[in-house]
Amino acid sequence: MVGTVETVRETSVRRRAPVANLWHGILPAVILMAGFFVVPIGYTVGLSFTGADHGGLTLSNYVTFFTNDRFTDALVRSVLLASAAVVLASVIAYPLAWFLTYAAHPRRRFLLLFLLIAPFWTSFTIRAFSWQLVLSDSGVIAFALTKVLGQPVALGFLYTMSASVFGLALFGIMLMTLTIFSVMVTIDPRLLEANRDLGGSEWRGFLEIVLPLSLPGWIIGAVLTFIICVGDYAVPTLLGGGFKPVLAQLMLSTLKGTYDLPMAATFAAVLMGVVLVSALPLALVRRQVRLQA
Amino acid sequence: MVSTVRKKAYDRWFVLLFAAVAATIYLPIVVMAVFSFNSGRYQVMPFREFTLAWFGRVFRDAQYFSGLMNSITVASAVSVSATVIAFLCAYSLVNARFPGKTVVTLFVLAPLAVPLILIGIGLRLYFVSVGLEPSLALVYAGQVLYVLPLAVLNLRNRIAQIPKSHEEAAWALGASRLRAILEIVLPSCRFAIVATLIITFTFAFDEFVIAYFLTNFSITLPIKIWTTLVTGFDPAINAIGVMVFGFSMALGIAAQALFMRKDQRK
Repeated sequence: MVGTVETVRETSVRRRAPVANLWHGILPAVILMAGFFVVPIGYTVGLSFTGADHGGLTLSNYVTFFTNDRFTDALVRSVLLASAAVVLASVIAYPLAWFLTYAAHPRRRFLLLFLLIAPFWTSFTIRAFSWQLVLSDSGVIAFALTKVLGQPVALGFLYTMSASVFGLALFGIMLMTLTIFSVMVTIDPRLLEANRDLGGSEWRGFLEIVLPLSLPGWIIGAVLTFIICVGDYAVPTLLGGGFKPVLAQLMLSTLKGTYDLPMAATFAAVLMGVVLVSALPLALVRRQVRLQA
Repeated sequence: MVSTVRKKAYDRWFVLLFAAVAATIYLPIVVMAVFSFNSGRYQVMPFREFTLAWFGRVFRDAQYFSGLMNSITVASAVSVSATVIAFLCAYSLVNARFPGKTVVTLFVLAPLAVPLILIGIGLRLYFVSVGLEPSLALVYAGQVLYVLPLAVLNLRNRIAQIPKSHEEAAWALGASRLRAILEIVLPSCRFAIVATLIITFTFAFDEFVIAYFLTNFSITLPIKIWTTLVTGFDPAINAIGVMVFGFSMALGIAAQALFMRKDQRK
């Protein structure tokens, strides 16, 4: 009997060595990433340094970009839009995550989180469009206000920057609630008990335990929200209108309108630069955080 | 567990905040659903008469229908390919030892942290430069890339939960690596695999930006919806929106239910 167990153990040890190095499974994914992600983006950045005639290296596209007010305004607008969305979403998502972690019933909290996230599985475009029905001057809110006040009300909200911020922030609230909650829920409750036992107030427990330990969730959520919003095209078009274009809109109109490919690549390269800089805070996050419910 | 549930006076403010956010998220969808049954040609209140005409029109319109068929075809291919590639990758990330594992993991997840428009434009410029014309095949390639990180995350988390001893027992009994994977690992995470197939299908089905850059003439449903929205309004959009929303929600709920089921079987 003992002999059998020993044999099994030896066999398993002997067999474990080759299996433990079964690393080849990563190859298809890595090749796909290299061929369809790294190479195309690298090619695009390279293209931005060529002239319209595809010959020789030049900075002329960047000179064109940074000396044209229309282009730099779009860059600033994209960054401001995404920043505003992150700030607005943070103010709402953080309390929501706190509520789900500490105030909601544990059996109900995943249902509540699910309720918040589910609509975001569906088409971004359709959701942005559906807001037009609510926010436009002939939309539901204007109609309700007109009924209540007894006189015509023009909201003037749709096709403004504020409408874009609103649309993007809603997405940010969902994403950031998810990332903050998934970190906050892992905070050891014994830390808070210890704080109470030692006479610390609840507020102090929040400031010195919950806030610092949940910060990685906020950083990840904020960075991802910023990156997705700064490159978004649908919300600025459907809710913001096209009068004050963002970077993504100019990039698309350059690509499909003028066929100036190196210039379109320059827009992409500038956007990539913004993304890389905004991803820097991620380096501060050491803890592994699962990005799913 | 009990210590985390504390009824406090200020809790109601959080309940109120949650209710307000949830109401805001669902309001436009409800409005869209109401308009989809409204006989009025313009999207203005008040509601006129109940009609199913817009839904009927969607099904009779050849462009919407071919867009739908293209979307289903591409999304199915994307879902199967991405799930297979992600399973292989997730298995190795969990079970193999090799230098730079963290780097590889971050590399595979990297597209999550890049705006879709950059992936779309990069692929478009690159494919054109190597002489490939925009087509649904390119949309397929781009969307596999887009859903892969999500699939890897899902499957990696699930595979990590399978006790290593199960596979080791199979090896000890003489099973080859492949057989142990087929008979131990795959059945252990079958719910997660089906859930991943569903969720990647949903994401590919609704994906618009990459598809918009990578195809010219064979369009998918989200592209048809987009061009309708920006070139002149068609009330049938409400009906399509409601159907797409319902379809995606149903798939999402099914996937979530499968993930939950896996947890109970742990």
